[in-house]
Amino acid sequence: MDNAAIRVDGLRQRYGDFEAVAGISFDVAAGELFALLGTNGAGKTTTLETLEGHRAVHAGTVRVLGHDPHRERRKVRPRIGIMLQDGGFFADLTVAETVDHWRGFTPAARDRDEAIGIAGLADKAGVRVRQLSGGQKRRLDLALALLGRPAVLFLDEPTSGMDPEARHATWKIVRDVVAGGTTVLLTTHYLEEAEHLADRLAILHRGRIETSGTVGEVVAGHGDRISFQMPGDLPVTELPDLRGARADISVDGGRTVASYTVDGVGLQAGLYELLRWADEERVRLDGLHARSASLEDVFLRTAEGATR
Amino acid sequence: MNLSAMSRVARLDLTLLWRNRTALFTVFGLPILFAGMLVPMKGQEIGGVDGALLQGTGHLGFFLVFAVFMNLVTVFTARREDRTLKRLRGTALSDAEITGGSVLTATAMYAVQALALLAVLGIAFGGRFPADPVLLLAGLAGGAAVFATLAFVISGITPNAEMAQLTVLPIMFACMLGAGVMFPMDGLPEWLQQVCRFTPLSPVVEIARTGYFGQDFVHRTASHPPVGIAEGWLTCVRPFLYLAFWAVIGRALASRWFRWEPRHA
Repeated sequence: MDNAAIRVDGLRQRYGDFEAVAGISFDVAAGELFALLGTNGAGKTTTLETLEGHRAVHAGTVRVLGHDPHRERRKVRPRIGIMLQDGGFFADLTVAETVDHWRGFTPAARDRDEAIGIAGLADKAGVRVRQLSGGQKRRLDLALALLGRPAVLFLDEPTSGMDPEARHATWKIVRDVVAGGTTVLLTTHYLEEAEHLADRLAILHRGRIETSGTVGEVVAGHGDRISFQMPGDLPVTELPDLRGARADISVDGGRTVASYTVDGVGLQAGLYELLRWADEERVRLDGLHARSASLEDVFLRTAEGATR
Repeated sequence: MNLSAMSRVARLDLTLLWRNRTALFTVFGLPILFAGMLVPMKGQEIGGVDGALLQGTGHLGFFLVFAVFMNLVTVFTARREDRTLKRLRGTALSDAEITGGSVLTATAMYAVQALALLAVLGIAFGGRFPADPVLLLAGLAGGAAVFATLAFVISGITPNAEMAQLTVLPIMFACMLGAGVMFPMDGLPEWLQQVCRFTPLSPVVEIARTGYFGQDFVHRTASHPPVGIAEGWLTCVRPFLYLAFWAVIGRALASRWFRWEPRHA
């Protein structure tokens, strides 16, 4: 990728004997939103902090806007915005004071009212930070990260602790920022968040990227399923193969259920085969159910699969 | 390093210091307490000079321990643990600007205390204008640099802000005892006096007293003979070397131990 704002190539990070990141590579194009998903301890935050320049790499290379973020911090920092996972506020300052001081540390900063507006805290400007709720602090954090109109924005679990309304407001801000050309790398626990926001994503598990791509690519081939109740008079042996996918028979609540996993075939083609067969054989399919894999299926399967 | 960026950090520090009653007491309350302790010493002559002035010039150095050392250990430790250091480090500020701003505020607070103390010594205790103000200033500035450096070191081995009250104690006591601020060292065995002279505050106090009185307070003679300007500086070569030694050691340990983030993170 020639226009990559972020490049990660063979990154490894170790804490003592523990390898937190075990050789990962990905690129994020300028203006793209890339999400890192993973369970706790998967290596998301370590990866993010490496890209933010907080730690040197153990092996591999990372580049942000063409520079090594750790060794060339001074070149990179003025052009990036960082939202930490938690903490990092001076509890005794008010919201407005916090923004004012940060404006002093940020070249070409947005004005105070605009920043407080981004934080959604216009009515709390005079309130000390210690009195804000967890979600409000996250919003203030986001506003500070956006203060210098960064070219690259790092968000570490940006909506944790937010109520649904604040979460949707935050998503809107992030989408607007991306529409404005900012590159965003975010980590999240919330699969819904990645589905809403991410152009591309990677699922990390135990320091490795298990799968990556667009939401569609990642989800494709991970458990597209068709199921229906077995008609009472139909022998199991009469069930068709759907272009190679064979039926699994299970008993659920006294009913016999046939199900096909049509990963290789695809949901559409599998369904077409089944319906054509049913039409020709005049079989009635009660409880017919066709379902694409969700990111959650992939995520859970990744976590399980890798532990096996 | 950009001085205007550093001064913006210093302004933040000043705002926070003003909001923090405990820190405010350490910086302003304790010096007033110590100045009060000079009153009973007034008029007692020790080694040819007034006891209150001798003690007071010791405090000139000793205030570094509160305003610069203890203050900065607490600031650096608390900010590391609540991740404000990390957040500051995520801005366009350089590392030197972030820590330099705090050092600047601490040093400015100390300068206010030192000037106030000099004024109090002059007005209330019959003190003089310093015989060699430049030597005095150089000694105190060197002391400020050493104690700021030691603050970086000690904050690195202090697990949290509460523990800072304990981890500063060894250096604080060594300084109190070693510099002869709390009691004169003449009664101690010679080898112990030599050890005491090596503690980081001793050279500051020796230089400060020599610069203030225009008498030799480096070589521990009973009479403290008068010294001229050039002679005063020559007399103070050894304490300046000790300060340089502490600065070098402190810097080496600081670069090894100082941390920007909590250990468990």
